[in-house]
Amino acid sequence: MVDFALTDEQELLRDTARSLFTKECPPALLRDAFYDVTPEGPAAARSFYATHLREWAALGDGPLVDLALFMQESGAVLAPGPLWVSSSWALPLLRAADHPDADAVADGSLTATVAVADAAGRWEPGDHDESWFVPHLEEVDRVVVVRSGPSIVVVDAAEVVGAPIEALDRTRPLHRIATASGPGTAITEVAFRDATDRATVALSAELVGVGRWLQDTTLSYVNERVQFAKPVGSFQGLQWKLVDASLHQERAAAAVAYAAMCVDADDADRASSVHVAKAAAGGAARHWSRTGLQAHGGIGYTWEHDLHLRLRRAYGGDHLLGDADWHRDQLAALLFD
Amino acid sequence: MKLSWGSEEEAFRSEIASFLDEHTPEQLREGRDWIGEEADEVPQWARDWQALLFDSGWMIPGYPPELGGRNATPLQTLVYQEELAARGVPRSVHFGGYGIVGPSLLEFGDETQRQLVPAAIRGDTVWCVGMSEPDAGSDLGSLATRADLDGDSFVVNGQKVWTSYAEWAEKCFLYVRTDPTAAKHKGISVLILDMDTPGVEIRPLRHITGNAEFAEVFLVDAVVPRSNLVGELNNGWRITMGSLAHERGGLWLEGVGYAQRALDGLVDLARDRGLDSDPVVRRTLGELYEEVRSIRALGYKGFASFAQGSSAPEHSYMKLAASELRQRLNEFGMDLQGAYATVTDPTLAAQGGRFQAAWQMSLAATIGGGTSEIQRNIVATRVLGLPRG
Repeated sequence: MVDFALTDEQELLRDTARSLFTKECPPALLRDAFYDVTPEGPAAARSFYATHLREWAALGDGPLVDLALFMQESGAVLAPGPLWVSSSWALPLLRAADHPDADAVADGSLTATVAVADAAGRWEPGDHDESWFVPHLEEVDRVVVVRSGPSIVVVDAAEVVGAPIEALDRTRPLHRIATASGPGTAITEVAFRDATDRATVALSAELVGVGRWLQDTTLSYVNERVQFAKPVGSFQGLQWKLVDASLHQERAAAAVAYAAMCVDADDADRASSVHVAKAAAGGAARHWSRTGLQAHGGIGYTWEHDLHLRLRRAYGGDHLLGDADWHRDQLAALLFD
Repeated sequence: MKLSWGSEEEAFRSEIASFLDEHTPEQLREGRDWIGEEADEVPQWARDWQALLFDSGWMIPGYPPELGGRNATPLQTLVYQEELAARGVPRSVHFGGYGIVGPSLLEFGDETQRQLVPAAIRGDTVWCVGMSEPDAGSDLGSLATRADLDGDSFVVNGQKVWTSYAEWAEKCFLYVRTDPTAAKHKGISVLILDMDTPGVEIRPLRHITGNAEFAEVFLVDAVVPRSNLVGELNNGWRITMGSLAHERGGLWLEGVGYAQRALDGLVDLARDRGLDSDPVVRRTLGELYEEVRSIRALGYKGFASFAQGSSAPEHSYMKLAASELRQRLNEFGMDLQGAYATVTDPTLAAQGGRFQAAWQMSLAATIGGGTSEIQRNIVATRVLGLPRG
């Protein structure tokens, strides 16, 4: 038995976030973030964060349900900046270590990213010399390096030796970095899992936002685009594809909200609900990317339209913190092992 | 958003749970929902079960005691549906009487007709519902069975098909065309037909599992008194599927409960067959698990809208999603059995041939009650707002 009804405060949070992003994050801004691969890109993202997102950083300390609502809205517009990694992932790790920078990350005056994966893309603590897939490195002040133990080492982002990884999703830049050695602060295994769960559900919520934009944009396009003297959305062959993608989207949105509730309550369903949420959200965003591109015809395949930016985030997001198939394998482990 | 409701609902839950644990007939225990029984009449244990539910106020909890309920709130009704669904226990072995006829007569029937309701819900009178015809399936509005008014009676001619429980039924809730000149949906009426009326002939229709669960009903000059007309003449389309409106928020639970039990069975089966370390089997079961759980979440999300009195677009997806998932779960249960996949002998097939039987039955799930194709059309136009083709 689960109650999905939003409280008045939750509705207000969602509506406030939606109007913030509608006003401050127009499509033009996003296009600049994509095309601008010069050194000004990270500076622009930093500035967007400092101006508009800083006051929301503390959501990372609160209920995951609230952070997830906010991330859906930021995902829909692909808001620039490191809010996701800083608030949902780095902050709980810093809190677990009782690190002095935690308060500053929570009030948004500092930002941080996380380095955990190895070159093979395993998101587990280890003692690898190089950490891979570190997001938003050039937009943050600190890097939280997770090492075996688990323990964390916090370093200044400016001092990190790293190289960009050219990747599909250019609005979420990735780096590989030489991993700091030296004494770390021990955190518990439970705290590491908790931070991973929060980051995974927040990322899943972002993917739900990406899927929602793709759905809304595609539905209005097929209502307007006329071929054979009819809106193409009236053709049953297309309608059924859109229905199947929207079902996937609805499943994902519900699964993500449920997972956020389970993490907040530390419910018995917590582990399975997080895997279900990420698998469903990654799958749905990819499903809408393919279906949306197909429904848009040629225009969706070009840089004239913003669809490709969401397609990039959908596939990029699916592959961060375990893709849908990896999470399905974890679900199998819960069933069998 | 929260994971539970109050202690009042939980007290209600333990009450229905102990009732079910104590009184559920042996024939319905252990998730035996995949077994279709064939019998000449409603088995006595099934009659006793439905009567007991009615007399205890557990048949339709949202109704008052005289109609087999206890004036339960919408939340309590959801709890009740959850407990039935988790066990795969049906309230009745014939859905029409309590699910369609009772609620429809309460809403549209006259005083005399409403007196038929308690017996319909208690199962003392077995009803069938005559809707589909050979040329009126998904396009129900084109039904052609004629009822011509002749003095104080209708004379009925035509044919119904897929009529569940026709052989058991004493009465039929019959959809007929009373004005052939009116537009398609405007000339339809509903009559109460006694099944022993001269001119009514029933031919059992064996379905794919080999059971004769439904039938064709032939009507030749069958005479029905005018007083058996339900509601107004030519206004019968409104009475289509007058199902239990207050239970609609939790109808999906049955399909989700079924899927969860099927998944549990698949896990046991994979383990028994030594396939629990096979990566393909694990990946497939992980994906099915994802679908079962996310569809469950979607159902509850829809209930939140339902409980607030708004329409629940989420629920437009549930029949489509649950029925297609049900087929995949059961077909995978056959795949896991290798050469035994198609062996239906219950002494040879795994878990008593459960998946072989359930897969065959599941083929009907995407057809009955609105095909998957019709469901997609409904979502496309009513939920997604796409133009009609």
